[in-house]
Amino acid sequence: MVEAKNLCMKYGKGKQLALENVNFFIDRGEFAFFVGSSGAGKSTLLKLIIREIKPTEGVIKVFNRDVGRLPRHRLPYLRRNIGMVFQDFRLMEERSVYDNVAFAMIVTGSSRREVKRRVPHVLNLVGLQDKAKAKITDLSGGEQQRVGLARAIANRPAMIIADEPTGNLDPGTALDIMNLLRSINLRGTTVLVATHNRDIVDRFRKRVLYLENGKLVGDEQKGIYTNVH
Amino acid sequence: MFISGFIYILGETLKGLYRNRWMCITSTGVVMVTLLMLGLFMLVNLNVRHITEAVKEQVEMVVYINEEADRAAVEELGRKILGHREVARVEYVSSEEHMGRLQQQLGGMLEGYDSALDNPLLASFEVRTEDPEAVVRLADEFEAYPGVAAVFYGQGYVENLFEVTRVVQVIGLALMVGLAVTAVFLISHTIKLTVMMRKREITIMKYVGATNWFIRWPFLLEGLLMGLVGAALPLGILNYLYGSSIEWVDVNELMFINLLPLQTVMAELAIYLVPLGTGLGILGSMLSMGRFLRV
Ligand SMILES: Nc1ncnc2c1ncn2[C@@H]1O[C@H](COP(=O)(O)OP(=O)(O)OP(=O)(O)O)[C@@H](O)[C@H]1O
Ligand SMILES: [Mg+2]
Repeated sequence: MVEAKNLCMKYGKGKQLALENVNFFIDRGEFAFFVGSSGAGKSTLLKLIIREIKPTEGVIKVFNRDVGRLPRHRLPYLRRNIGMVFQDFRLMEERSVYDNVAFAMIVTGSSRREVKRRVPHVLNLVGLQDKAKAKITDLSGGEQQRVGLARAIANRPAMIIADEPTGNLDPGTALDIMNLLRSINLRGTTVLVATHNRDIVDRFRKRVLYLENGKLVGDEQKGIYTNVH
Repeated sequence: MFISGFIYILGETLKGLYRNRWMCITSTGVVMVTLLMLGLFMLVNLNVRHITEAVKEQVEMVVYINEEADRAAVEELGRKILGHREVARVEYVSSEEHMGRLQQQLGGMLEGYDSALDNPLLASFEVRTEDPEAVVRLADEFEAYPGVAAVFYGQGYVENLFEVTRVVQVIGLALMVGLAVTAVFLISHTIKLTVMMRKREITIMKYVGATNWFIRWPFLLEGLLMGLVGAALPLGILNYLYGSSIEWVDVNELMFINLLPLQTVMAELAIYLVPLGTGLGILGSMLSMGRFLRV
């Protein structure tokens, strides 16, 4: 599903390597955490996967395609297969829950009928069926992140990528969101999560890839946050 | 693309225009002024050309011959005029012929007047030039020829017509180019503002996998609409103005101002103004399409 080979990323000449010789393979249907201290390169790695940036060296393969060399006009189709979830939610705050989810479908060319059928369904999956008409600013942080999740799965992506999805949430709410991600994973969607949340990582016992100063220093199945070296 | 996509794009376009309405009105206004000027200029130009054509059809210049000139001198003068390389045709009209024409024009009013005895009218050469604009210059030249009493060429009329058109052309063109550049700049600036206001939506669109075109269409349409409205309004105004002019000429029976029909002129104007307006709009949009609008 995602494969990195000697992956290096440098943001500019004279800058330090944000990623250095990273190698890993994540299979279809896996649930994997990327952990590491601030500046370790977690977000950089996720950005490479969706080709927000291009690798300086090495190869990053997603769905068996070398995304670093993907022609620009193919990018939208790569991204339709990847649902993104962000720490700051990135929702259209003046619009309703329903609109936010429908938006992702409309701008990628879904028909009205599909949108009408799919949106209530995904809102139901994240437990927001009663909040469809609510404005984003009237929701709690946890509810907003649920909207983010609903939007991410609206186009039935093969993979979800979440960058610190619980960074702005209290521990209880964070656990709810993570459990939602796990249930999405159980339906067959690959899930990659970059996080600082030690508690959740330790509790989930999923695969953990540990980054330090741009290097991959640990990669364990059923790992825990601190169990490296 | 599905209907929902179309509706979305149209909705976003209109929303963008509304949220940014003052800038939009300003930009559209400048497009309007530009095209209104171009339209007026074209109106004048088309009609001047038309009138000139008509002038060309008529006698352009009449060279009156001195009463004292004898037969040989008249023949010599006729040869000289015909020999000029800018002259197309020369026709001799005797004083008797002039009198005949006058009597015809005035109907019975000169009845009983014995023209054979006392004819005050001068014989003349009627000259047609290759280029109507040469008339003014040639008249001066011919006036100096021996045996010439006077030269007439619808004095002032033709002269002024060419002078005015040329000045209008130069000033108008310079002004229009300046205005067009301003219009493009304003449109692109307006669209950039809309882009800024929709930053969040655009970022989300890129993440969820909208295509470049889907992201850009609303902005292209925004420019196109501004250009189109900027062209349509001047067309309406010109239609009204020109219609009134025709009526005015008609009411005042100014037959010598032979204006082109309204429909012909408006069709000609539309052919230029509509593509130009949309062109300015699209150019403005294109200039506003920075890196941010790429997936
Ligand atoms: N756009 C950028 N331009 C220049 N340097 C950057 C850019 N983005 C990240 N970096 C640098 O790359 C390195 C890795 O950053 P990255 O954001 O991937 O870390 P992270 O692991 O996500 O950190 P955090 O946990 O704080 O989110 C850092 O040293 C950072 O300063
Ligand atoms: Mg980060």
